[in-house]
Amino acid sequence: MRFWLVTAGLLGLLVGSRPAAAQEAGLAVGARAPVVAVKDLDGKSVDLGQYIGHKPVLLEFWATWCEVCRALMPTVRAAHQEFGDRVEFFGVNVTVNQTPERVRKYVATEHPPFRTLYDEDGVSTRAFQAPTTSYIVIVDRAGKVAYTGTGSTQDLATALRAVAAP
Amino acid sequence: MSNRAIAAASIVLSMVAVPRLQAQASSKDSTLGPPTAVMVSGPDVGRRAPAFRLPWASKDGVGPADQPYDLSLDRGKIVVLAFFPRDFTQGCTAEMRTFAEQYDSLFGPDVTVVGVSTDSLTTHSRFAASLNLPFRLLSDPQQQVAARYAAKDRSGYMRRVVYIIGPDGKVRYRNMRFNALDPKHYADLAAAVRRTRAG
Repeated sequence: MRFWLVTAGLLGLLVGSRPAAAQEAGLAVGARAPVVAVKDLDGKSVDLGQYIGHKPVLLEFWATWCEVCRALMPTVRAAHQEFGDRVEFFGVNVTVNQTPERVRKYVATEHPPFRTLYDEDGVSTRAFQAPTTSYIVIVDRAGKVAYTGTGSTQDLATALRAVAAP
Repeated sequence: MSNRAIAAASIVLSMVAVPRLQAQASSKDSTLGPPTAVMVSGPDVGRRAPAFRLPWASKDGVGPADQPYDLSLDRGKIVVLAFFPRDFTQGCTAEMRTFAEQYDSLFGPDVTVVGVSTDSLTTHSRFAASLNLPFRLLSDPQQQVAARYAAKDRSGYMRRVVYIIGPDGKVRYRNMRFNALDPKHYADLAAAVRRTRAG
């Protein structure tokens, strides 16, 4: 009898536990931002640790085929215009279904308002738990995540105003 | 039942349960609502893939109701079975678009790829047409097949899970947490297809 009570209890833990996982993940606000090195389009390694924890940082995970990213671009452009002197902007290309040439061409024609990184190994995609393209992470100068969001309409200005404040 | 037996049963079940819960509770869902744990293991590598039949749609429209996709009819071929959460969402669009545009390098012409979600056939057809998908999408609204492959999620949407089934009908590869944005996962998938083809 006791065996079955214990077993039932453990099976209850298995089946009825708190809401769990999600594959479509994202960093929690308040969490410490991961510090990784990602290559740029020229293959040069960019250590995000040079920026994260030293000044506010915005990262957008994007791809040339991402229509939502394209729709979001004016918002990012406006944010860069207002905060670009105080916040470091990075656009991390997720490299799925991409080539460096395709990304270079896009950058040359669209002039996105960020430094483009080409995450061929998926290092930052995994570290930042990017759930989808258009995923934006804003990190404050202490290196903590202040904002995450996805989609074509995101209120970046509010979060940037907070992290950029002296 | 002795106390030792009870303790042993507890330890064994804890070893199974706790790592899974820790792994699955480590992140949050930002797009699809909170999924919940469904503790079914699904066929592991080397095990026979459960047989199933499901209605399908393609970019050309909805398939005949009396001719569902039947896994058993693909015996002798390599089958890639890709469970995904939902048509027209960003992650699924990224995954399916990549499968379509990189079909030759990821899979090759001898491989049958089928996507599976809870979406209706009409939605599948529109989704497949929007991305010009060269493969079929199967509709499993009650997640009956998904449950047998451990892709079922109580959120109402399937988890992103990919299997490769060999010509012998056995599972050759599986990724129970396929990440649509991780280039390594696509590279691993392509390598597994090549290994399966090589026997």
